[in-house]
Amino acid sequence: MMTPNVIERAMLIAFGAFLVAVPWLIPVLLNKFWVSLIAEIMIWSLFAASVNLLFGYVGLLSFGQALYFGFGMYGVAIGVATLGLSFWPAFGLGIVASVMIALVSGIFAVRLTWHYFAIITVVFSLIFYFFAVSVKPLTGGDDGINFSLPPTFSFGGVTGSFSDASFQYFFILATVSLCFFLMHRVIRSPLGKAFVAIRDNDVRAALIGLNVYQLRLIAFVMAGFLAGVSGALFAFFGRYASASYMYYHVSGEAVVWAIVGGAGTLFGPIVGTTFFIVIRELVSTHWEHHALIVGVMAILVVILAPKGLVGLWNDAFISWRARAKAASTNTTLQTEP
Amino acid sequence: MTEPALRTENLTKRFGGLTAVNKLNLSIPCGRPHAVIGPNGAGKTTFFNLVSGLLTADSGRVFFEGRDITGLKPHEVSRLGIKRTMQIKSVFPQLSVADNLWVTRHAANRILHPFRAASHDPETRERVELTLEQIGLPALAHRPAGTLSYGDVALLEIGMALISDPKLLLLDEPTCGMSPAETERAVAKIKQLARTIDIVIIEHDMSVVFEIADDITVMTQGEILASGSPDEISGDERVREAYLGRPDDEDYVEEAIHA
Repeated sequence: MMTPNVIERAMLIAFGAFLVAVPWLIPVLLNKFWVSLIAEIMIWSLFAASVNLLFGYVGLLSFGQALYFGFGMYGVAIGVATLGLSFWPAFGLGIVASVMIALVSGIFAVRLTWHYFAIITVVFSLIFYFFAVSVKPLTGGDDGINFSLPPTFSFGGVTGSFSDASFQYFFILATVSLCFFLMHRVIRSPLGKAFVAIRDNDVRAALIGLNVYQLRLIAFVMAGFLAGVSGALFAFFGRYASASYMYYHVSGEAVVWAIVGGAGTLFGPIVGTTFFIVIRELVSTHWEHHALIVGVMAILVVILAPKGLVGLWNDAFISWRARAKAASTNTTLQTEP
Repeated sequence: MTEPALRTENLTKRFGGLTAVNKLNLSIPCGRPHAVIGPNGAGKTTFFNLVSGLLTADSGRVFFEGRDITGLKPHEVSRLGIKRTMQIKSVFPQLSVADNLWVTRHAANRILHPFRAASHDPETRERVELTLEQIGLPALAHRPAGTLSYGDVALLEIGMALISDPKLLLLDEPTCGMSPAETERAVAKIKQLARTIDIVIIEHDMSVVFEIADDITVMTQGEILASGSPDEISGDERVREAYLGRPDDEDYVEEAIHA
């Protein structure tokens, strides 16, 4: 029998199989451009996931995640272009830089909650945005830094590099999948439950013995890590870094993606990001005011489906599951003499 | 003589011009359930907030089993074994009943494992099931706590206090909003707990107070008005006047004492 659980698992497998098949499937169905667009969507989904970890699971709405994305980008670009690092050290530099800056700003930011927290995260990202724009020799300012790609690895005669579109796609897929898997593990762990407890009721969380400040800081650094990885990937993907990606409208977009997709759900950011980037690609070539559609959609979803698109889906599934359960109980009752 | 479970020295808290708790000197010995009663605004809940670290005292000290705990943060106080329930019922509304208990049990751990699945923890799960039985909520284990009735939330709060193995339990109007049957169940539970745990209870329901407490402290306007056994308190004229009602309000007094 097709139970809801079986269907949900089948959909997950189909989704995974689709992502693996993209480099062969999409050029046939659409064109090559869409392969790199899907890779880009994955990177931005990871960025939205960092907003989601903070807002959806710990209850802290950050409007400054672009800062950590930007540090990931610049870590890679400065590592490669200025320091002459190879792929992995540059990747590591980007991630370490964003985790460090997340730790430092988090120490101040997570003392606050709600709008105060939102404001301080914006302020931090603006400070570093203007800093990045003004220190032209280091960051290239508005022009950014262009760099030529180092090979990802060379092993004997085999060389993997982002210049190979399929390799680039699979590297991004593997990295983003790993990050989502880690997030999935964290959410289901004792730590993840403590996060949700803090989101639900921080006073009660403190009274049962949770160190609310410390746990919020841990979540903030984890979110910085996710944003940093996505920024580092995006630097390799675009072969450049620019201060414009540290501006707060980038942070704001991720907030919209995460909330419309469904904050507090693992797949919400993927759904929201895909939804808006695909709309942008389909509409922007025909109509320059595509942002209007994004705005209207965002407002509609927030009003009609506060738990986002994935929340809608989950609610439908829960009621279906309940009905399936009731139906199976009825059948067993009938079969009994 | 052993150290009292809880002792305060000149504990004072002001909110602007209002002195909510004024030079409170209270000593609550181990093994004797203690009730704090008094009219609204007497400073009872403020006293609990000062002990549990939600508020910082303006002056004075708090000692728990002889240890100075003044100024500790709520989670630090909690980790010493002082647990409390809230007057306005306070649980994690979006977590299931079982998860509320689960996370409370785990909160005592200094390190929360970031990657191991929470579901793979048979020891905690058994304890959660046991606690669900104790508070009589196993049927609601998977319901989000936010969808429970008020009385069930109050029971869940008691369960959350239970599962954390407290040394000292501060109960702030635990039976408020409960039906008579639920109150009876909660009182039986609290009396059973009181055999092993030191309990301080704030309660307006006099039948509950007289059922549970060995000692009673009466507070008015942030100060101790009287302190003593239930018999002494119910016979104290000042208490009758200040709290139970004026002499012409005999019906209420009778009702309150014999309810």
